[in-house]
Amino acid sequence: MAKTHTCIVNTLSFNLQKNLQTLKKLLPSEDILTYEFETEDKVSCALVYADGMVNKELLGELIAKPLSTLILKNEGGRDKTNEQKIQTTARFPELKTAETFEDILPEILDGNTLLLVDKIATGFIAGAKLLPVRAVIEPPTDIAVKGPREGFIEDVKTNMALVRKRLKTPDLRFQTIKVGRRSDTAVAICWLQGTSSDKVKEEIVQKIQAIDIDNIPDSSYIAAFLAPRTHSVFRSVGTTEKPDIFTAKISEGRVGVLVDGSPIALTVPFLLTEDFQSSEDYFISPFMATIFRAMRFIALFVSIFLPAFYVSAQLFKMQLLPLGLMLTIASGVRELPLSPSMEMFVVLLLLEILKEASIRMPKYVGMSLSVVGALVLGETAVSAGFLSTPAIIVVALSGICLYTVPDFVETGSILRWVYLIVAGSLGPFGIVLLSTFLLVYLVSCDSYGTPLLAPFSPLIRGDLRDTIAKYGMESLSKRPVILRSKNKTRLSTAQKNTQETTQKNTQNGGETDA
Amino acid sequence: MLKFPALIAPENDGILGRQIAFFAAFILPIYKLLELPSILARFTGGDLLLPALLQYLFQTGVLLALLFAASRSETPLFERLEKKLGKWTAPVYLFYVLYFLFAAVLPLLDLDKFVYAAFYDTSPTFFSFIFFFLISAYVCARGIKTLGRIADLSLFLFLVPFVSLLVMSLVEADASNLLPIFQHRFEHTVSAFTYTTPHFSDAILLLPLIGNLRYQKGDCKKIALGYGLGGVFTILFLGVFYGVYSTIAAREHYAFAKIAQYFPALTVIGRIDLLLVYLLCIVLFIYTATPLHFATDLTTRVCGGKRRVWFSAAFNLGALLFTLFCNQHYNAIYTLFGEYLFPVFWVFADLLPLALLLFTLKTTKKKEREYA
Repeated sequence: MAKTHTCIVNTLSFNLQKNLQTLKKLLPSEDILTYEFETEDKVSCALVYADGMVNKELLGELIAKPLSTLILKNEGGRDKTNEQKIQTTARFPELKTAETFEDILPEILDGNTLLLVDKIATGFIAGAKLLPVRAVIEPPTDIAVKGPREGFIEDVKTNMALVRKRLKTPDLRFQTIKVGRRSDTAVAICWLQGTSSDKVKEEIVQKIQAIDIDNIPDSSYIAAFLAPRTHSVFRSVGTTEKPDIFTAKISEGRVGVLVDGSPIALTVPFLLTEDFQSSEDYFISPFMATIFRAMRFIALFVSIFLPAFYVSAQLFKMQLLPLGLMLTIASGVRELPLSPSMEMFVVLLLLEILKEASIRMPKYVGMSLSVVGALVLGETAVSAGFLSTPAIIVVALSGICLYTVPDFVETGSILRWVYLIVAGSLGPFGIVLLSTFLLVYLVSCDSYGTPLLAPFSPLIRGDLRDTIAKYGMESLSKRPVILRSKNKTRLSTAQKNTQETTQKNTQNGGETDA
Repeated sequence: MLKFPALIAPENDGILGRQIAFFAAFILPIYKLLELPSILARFTGGDLLLPALLQYLFQTGVLLALLFAASRSETPLFERLEKKLGKWTAPVYLFYVLYFLFAAVLPLLDLDKFVYAAFYDTSPTFFSFIFFFLISAYVCARGIKTLGRIADLSLFLFLVPFVSLLVMSLVEADASNLLPIFQHRFEHTVSAFTYTTPHFSDAILLLPLIGNLRYQKGDCKKIALGYGLGGVFTILFLGVFYGVYSTIAAREHYAFAKIAQYFPALTVIGRIDLLLVYLLCIVLFIYTATPLHFATDLTTRVCGGKRRVWFSAAFNLGALLFTLFCNQHYNAIYTLFGEYLFPVFWVFADLLPLALLLFTLKTTKKKEREYA
């Protein structure tokens, strides 16, 4: 990390006041407080900490109170006896020493407390951090009817604990890197030793270490640096807010990244099919999961292509519509002042504006604005002859369908606009051309050596079992081949055999083998 | 003689045997669904399957020879060929660049006509078709690996809509239209055979892929089976096509875009079959860009792996200008290719590759090991 503090004197002095003055120069901000007290034999001590980030009660109980009854042999110099005395008296589980300001400053800014004692040129850093964090609740963006409801929060330590809670194995490894010249944000890289690819992990570590930016407010900043293609509308880094999904992906052989200050964890390599998977798919019957996934897939296609085909059918290829529907549409659009593509453009724009406003507006006015949006804008626009009912239905359906794949909303939204423009100018030919372009683009996209469209392209038959179709657990005994996991087996053979025997027995009317 | 830079194989740009098999099975047949059925019907009526079968047998023979040569070593065929030919490789490659540009002509003209027939009720300007060349240039700028991955996707893009269209067309198909067989004279079959040579010159389209293949055991079988499957798709479609249109088949151009329109449910739900046709068109676009892709690929190889994007742009710009000026002379060009220039395809697509293989056949595995 690039240091922002230029130290006048780097090492601590034996004089407490001098040390405090230097600290004040280096950290002049008003929220850096100093609490001075004395030991039994009148030796001056000081606690330096960032206001609001430490547990003051703990500092008083475990440092100030015991030390105020301590008698130090005030000999000074290089004698280490006093240091040892302080360390044993202050009953802090996390207590370490530092002798330079370069080491001390980041600790104070990180929420730890510095203890300085007169005549001792060593600082004691107590891990009394008490940061304001919110509770572990279900993430609003990933709600599951069945399955765990915990979600990551903004504190990286809590998030690491949530992961560790689910993977109690010595193979689970974290490597923390500090990123951000000013924010000094902790970024934890997480992987399963012996399962994840070392090459991928190393590449991620290198990329994160190479980041030279002043502030990392969210994991999306890190995602931008990790993405192999920075100007792509398709994301190439997976995201999740749920520890259960995160650990499942880590267990498959991916590498995860947790960022302090962000509840969104990152996973790489990323496959496009991950967007169609939901955590719930793994907690319900594989048949239902397959149906749901197919539905999401179809819904996404409807959402992207429906407005485009509606426009191109009206402008270029009327045969795409059945005769009855075509007559209905014709009667609806007969006296409209706008062309079909312009009309669709306006309705889609209205949808996007309403969506944006409903996210940002205060809850109290949300209801009334929904009424204004749906009734006033929709109903009145139709009755005023400004828009047609079929166009509103098409856009409404498209808007709803897009939200069946929440992780694809941004990309889908952009694609819908592009398809609409292309359909309005070139018709179905443009739609097919654009689709060809996107397919060629997608097949040539790799995320850390893993093709984005895998396992469809390149075709990996075994990995198809957890894509659109979701097979039962016994069929998912191997980890995805495409992730090049070192440990290929997920479900042990013995377990698999037991499951198959149980299945056979159930089919034979519950008779057990002798 | 011109001195060419060292020839190089594009790095990490391999293709798998399975992908070539998929290319043969799901991408190569697509062009044969366009104008070929009506041409065959024009020459041979209900006997249209016979010249197609003969063409397939002939091409399978050439393909098997290529595969035999490829299977002699794990080193890709092109690498061996480059070693053998030495300084002559560059001229040979450039010769084939010209051939691929020549082979791209008919698919481009057919696609141009097909686009207007299948995508528009109204009459769009020619400029609509120009956008195809943007996509084609993009495809050409990508390596063989991308083509292989597209071949993997074509399994879904071709199979699902093709089978659905075929099933939907069966409703109106009458197999008895194909009877009696051998009702036309053999000369007609021969004429159909020669006239449709540009449509069936498949082995040469597989050569650039096979040439980059790092051969593994079983690849020959896969590719041959893939090509056979493609043949079955074509024959099936030709059969259904004549079963549906019978005596008016010769006048039914680009029939695959409308062959399923008589399916009863479509009157209620609209021309859903067109969506399937559009899905197939993705494969068709890739097929049409393939000769230009190979031309780009070979030129890039000759130039030491550099300026691929520029070559792609240049070839596609040339193809655009050609289509722009020649789309009015569609019939004349078709007749020129079918009646006079078909030997060019035989020489370049079949005979020359076989002759070149004679060089590589001498390199046995044992000799290669000694060389290593």
